[in-house]
Amino acid sequence: MMNRTLLLALTVVLGGCVNATVDEMTFNEPTAGVGDASVVILGRRHAADYDTEFDFIECVGDHIRRGDKTIRVVDELEFINSLYPWFEPRTAPMRTQDINRLTDIPPVAKRFDDLDLEYMIWVDGKTIETNSAGSMTCGVGPGGAGCFGFGTWGNASDYEATIWNFTDRAEVGRVAASTSGQSYMPAVIVPIPIIAPVQDTACESLGEQLLKYLSANH
Amino acid sequence: MISDPSCSIRNLLATLCALLVLAGCGAKQVQVKGNFPKPVVEPLPITVGVYYSDEFAAHEFFDEAKGRNESQWLVKTGEAQVAFWDKLFAGAFRKTIRIYDLDQLKKRRKELDAVIVPSIQDLQYTIPLHTNIKIYEIWMRYGFQFISIEDKEISRFALTAYGKTPTAFLQSDEQAVNLAAVVALRDAGANFITSFERIPEVNDWLQQRSNRPKTVPAPVAAAATLPAKPPEPMESTPPESEVQP
Repeated sequence: MMNRTLLLALTVVLGGCVNATVDEMTFNEPTAGVGDASVVILGRRHAADYDTEFDFIECVGDHIRRGDKTIRVVDELEFINSLYPWFEPRTAPMRTQDINRLTDIPPVAKRFDDLDLEYMIWVDGKTIETNSAGSMTCGVGPGGAGCFGFGTWGNASDYEATIWNFTDRAEVGRVAASTSGQSYMPAVIVPIPIIAPVQDTACESLGEQLLKYLSANH
Repeated sequence: MISDPSCSIRNLLATLCALLVLAGCGAKQVQVKGNFPKPVVEPLPITVGVYYSDEFAAHEFFDEAKGRNESQWLVKTGEAQVAFWDKLFAGAFRKTIRIYDLDQLKKRRKELDAVIVPSIQDLQYTIPLHTNIKIYEIWMRYGFQFISIEDKEISRFALTAYGKTPTAFLQSDEQAVNLAAVVALRDAGANFITSFERIPEVNDWLQQRSNRPKTVPAPVAAAATLPAKPPEPMESTPPESEVQP
């Protein structure tokens, strides 16, 4: 019990602060849930200067799976590989109408049928480092090792999820999450990281909104 | 002779420090490796011979360091190129036969409709050190020669491919360049699948074939049972220009 309290206290003390903003615009919610059908969450990777991170997409998928075990979320890499080359940055559908172009190819249409896909969710965004300051010096000597100094850096995440109803070939909603936070690392002999979970908060915020949309129990 | 143990430890530490410092100066080497999926397409109803030149099958890219802070780079893509294109052509065409030399081509000529010869014309890369952008990029230009078994060049065309990967925590330069190369290969495949049939000369040739009554039925079942010759050193393989029926 004592250990748990200590761990909780350490987490609270060592966690940096994060500001989060969530925007949502959805319609035609599946009031009875998605049933036996499946959902796939995909990252956009066609921009010149960034890729939506694979681990972020996995985090959002895991959040939905944890929240409602009846929702079948298809693994992103598995989906992209099973439909190669139609979901590569060069070929991925940008509009709902483009899905028809894919279903005109018989083997692709069969894969979609096998998956029984109901929703395709596209996530576009990234996490960046906004600022950094400070300095730290570390040294090793015969008597031991240690660091001295102070470092700080800021991170910002900005993600938008676009929900496509695969059966109706229609966009049925958009959910956006923007988060920012400042992390600190003071060091007097031992560096103590106080990390702001900026990307994790964005993942939880976006995942929660998508879960509310897809699940009948939320 | 008895040596002072503290002196030995000092020597060892000095050697380790020197090795750590020198490690930053060595050439960075990447052997591109990846798992490539088979394309999900309706295969074109033709049997194609695939010939990889020595240069293609052992393709590597070397870049000299341009400054004291830079490293030399050696990116070996040949093995991955062959593995990738083997899988892609196998999905894109009804049947493919790997051609290793002119003798084999002559022997299996009746089974083939055409021969395809890929080559790499250019490869460029950038790492964050070059651009100050936290992205690793690889760009490739391929050349393809598509030859009919009547010894006519149907088409000679070029395709470009691009792959990028952002920096990631605990990811080395080598891992990132490998990942960018794999993305570039996948992009090359996507480009080939979406553009091959649209090349006017290829399209015309395919149209002519579909209109022409076939005199020799394609031996799909028979050829499927023929074991492909295992990969072997390609010293005996003739130059690219000679691999024509």
